[in-house]
This record gives sequence, C-alpha cells and structure tokens, in this order.
Amino acid sequence: MSLEGINRALVSHDLVQDLKWNADLRQEFEEDESAVLDRYELTPAERTAIEERDFRTLYDLGFHPYLGAQFARILFANNKSGATSAVQHLLASIRREPAPGHGEASEA
Amino acid sequence: MANISLAVAASHAPGLIGMFDQAPRESQQVVSSAYGSLARQIREADLDVIIMVANDHMANNRIREYPDFIVGMAPEHRGPAEFFKDWLACDEYAIPGRPDIAEKILNGLSQRGVRVSATRENLNFDDNISVPVVKTEIEASGVPIIPILQNVTVPPFPDQHRCYEIGRQLADLIENDLPSDLRVGLFATGGMSHEPGGVRDFWIDEDFDNWFLGLLANGDHDKVLAEVTLQRLEEAGSGGTGELLSWILVMGAIGERHCNVLGYTAWDKWRCGIGAVSWDMTSAPAGR
Repeated sequence: MSLEGINRALVSHDLVQDLKWNADLRQEFEEDESAVLDRYELTPAERTAIEERDFRTLYDLGFHPYLGAQFARILFANNKSGATSAVQHLLASIRREPAPGHGEASEA
Repeated sequence: MANISLAVAASHAPGLIGMFDQAPRESQQVVSSAYGSLARQIREADLDVIIMVANDHMANNRIREYPDFIVGMAPEHRGPAEFFKDWLACDEYAIPGRPDIAEKILNGLSQRGVRVSATRENLNFDDNISVPVVKTEIEASGVPIIPILQNVTVPPFPDQHRCYEIGRQLADLIENDLPSDLRVGLFATGGMSHEPGGVRDFWIDEDFDNWFLGLLANGDHDKVLAEVTLQRLEEAGSGGTGELLSWILVMGAIGERHCNVLGYTAWDKWRCGIGAVSWDMTSAPAGR
C-alpha cells in the first residue's frame, strides 16, 4: 500500500475531518447518516462505498489509510480504547475478506 | 547561549495507556522501564521547556491544505482532543506552553528557510502528544512544552536528509536566538514500525525496528541518513513507520552523541513497535 495514490481533493476526507472535529455532527451522523451525507458533494462511488462500509473501494478512490482507521472507528461504532474490532472490520474490507464475527475473522 | 540539556525519543501507540494492562507482562515491563527512565530524566534535567517534535495525524488540518510543520504557540496545551479521549482512555492534561519561545522558534526556523506554520490556538492532540506526556509524567514535572507537529504521512513531506537539516537549523536557533540560560529538552515522539489503517495493520516489523535502534546505538548519522530512506520506512509500514523522521530531526539537532537504547517491545494489539532512546547530552558532540 502506497501513500502516493492519495487523492487530496477527495470530499470523503472532509466528511471524516468534520466528524472528528464536531461531536454534534457525529451524533447526527449516527442518528441519520443519509442526512449528513446529503450535505457533502460526494461522488456516487464515494457515497456508495461509505454506505456499504466498503473501504477497499474508498482506498482505491484515493482515501488516506490513516483517516480510514479513524473513519472505521466511527462507522463501526468502536472508538473505545484500542478500537481493535473497528480495525479488524476495516482490514476485512480492504483485504476483501469476510467481516469479523462472520466465519473467518481477520483476527490479528 | 541556550543549550539542549536533554534529547530523547519514544513511540506513542494509543494502546500504551488504555490497553496497557492487557499486554504480555514482558511488554509491560519494557514499557514501564523505558518510559520510567524518560520520566526520571525529564524530572532531573532541570528543564525550562521541552520541545516535542511529534507527528501530526491529520488532527488539525484538512489534507488538501496540509503544512509540513505546525508550532504550538498556545499559553496552555490541553488534551487529548475530544474525539480521541475514549480511544486513548487517558486522563485530561493541561501543560503550560511558552508562547515567547514558540514565537522565536517560528521566526527562527522561517529565517533559516524552513517553511513552518504556527497557531496560538490549542492544537488537537491525539496519541502523538498525549501518550508521551502521560507516560513520562510531563504534567507533574511542571515543565512547559512547545509542540512541533510534523507531516510525515501526506506526500510530499520532508525526507530524512531534510529533517536532519531542519534539526540543525533548530539547534542553531536554540543556540543563537533563545535566552542564554535556557535549558531546553528535545523529545521526538513517533514510530516505530506500524501501518495504521493499511492492509498490514497489526503487523510490526521487528527486524526493521531492531535494525534502526542498532543504527542509532552505533551512532553513525551518515549511515542513518544513507539507509533510512523514505522507501525503507514505507516498506516497514506505510504511513506509520515514517514517524521516525521526528527522531531523525532531533538527531540533526544534537549531532552524533552516544545513544542509549532504553528498550524495545512488539505486541501486535498495540499495532506498533515500541521503542525509546535517550542521547547523552553531557559531553560535546563528535565531529562538530
């Protein structure tokens, strides 16, 4: 995985940054994800990838992996110490493996 | 002339606080010993300020407007930032800043050709500052800090040669621009091998980490600069291992000095190789 393919203009990055910086927005996102996504000029591919928790596609679109780990903590509702399960979900997605807890978990 | 009275470096994995008790006993012992040594050194060095050279994890800027360096000029540095509190599971801290010295660092680096940003606001701190501050008891020491957050993950960013050169510029400004009796500590935080959010997350390149620590202990900085390339850092963990560039910046500031490796351990759930070193600042540097 290289950092050279990052798309610095990707709107999804703005979404993650705003969610990190604004607890109220994060709360709204948990309650009504679509309403928040509607306010961002996401491409259809980005929006679908977010809705489907498809990090492989997000990364292929140029999403920064470091923000991926942080976004995973929000999307998989696991922002507690270590956030191990969120990272495992993220890894399963970018490796195109079954999600943890459904058969072959990607336990590290 | 102000002088660098302490120079240390250590990793900052978030799990070092919240997941500490779950780690194997041997890893706990290494961390307690190494960070305990750093805490003692900080306490005993009679410092006026600690410049913390840390990595910015995209906590303060959008990545399309991303500075290479941000100097924290706030009168007080508080953390961790809200989003990271539960993740780090660490207590809140408030550490005095030194806006007067931070201003001299901003202008001193600028005048020496280093492009730096600065803010008077409280920066968002995640594990980068929070973990070393908590693990080495900086708040209790009462020593003010100045964070310098560094881009090591949004390309292009300064490579090992440039970081080393910027370290030299930092040393020059400490020597010439800061108050003559000031005792300065340098604390590099970041690394060791890890790939946060990447396909190899949880993997730790122990061979790389031990090789890197061996290079530091050996003390030949030309060899470090020749071999610890951006490509080599990337191979040992994309987007994470490059945090060791902060260590190289501090090495540039102090020159070749005896490096004491305080410990190293790797536990996969910490998702990062954990190492710490201190350099001997009591004698004159070699080759200067």
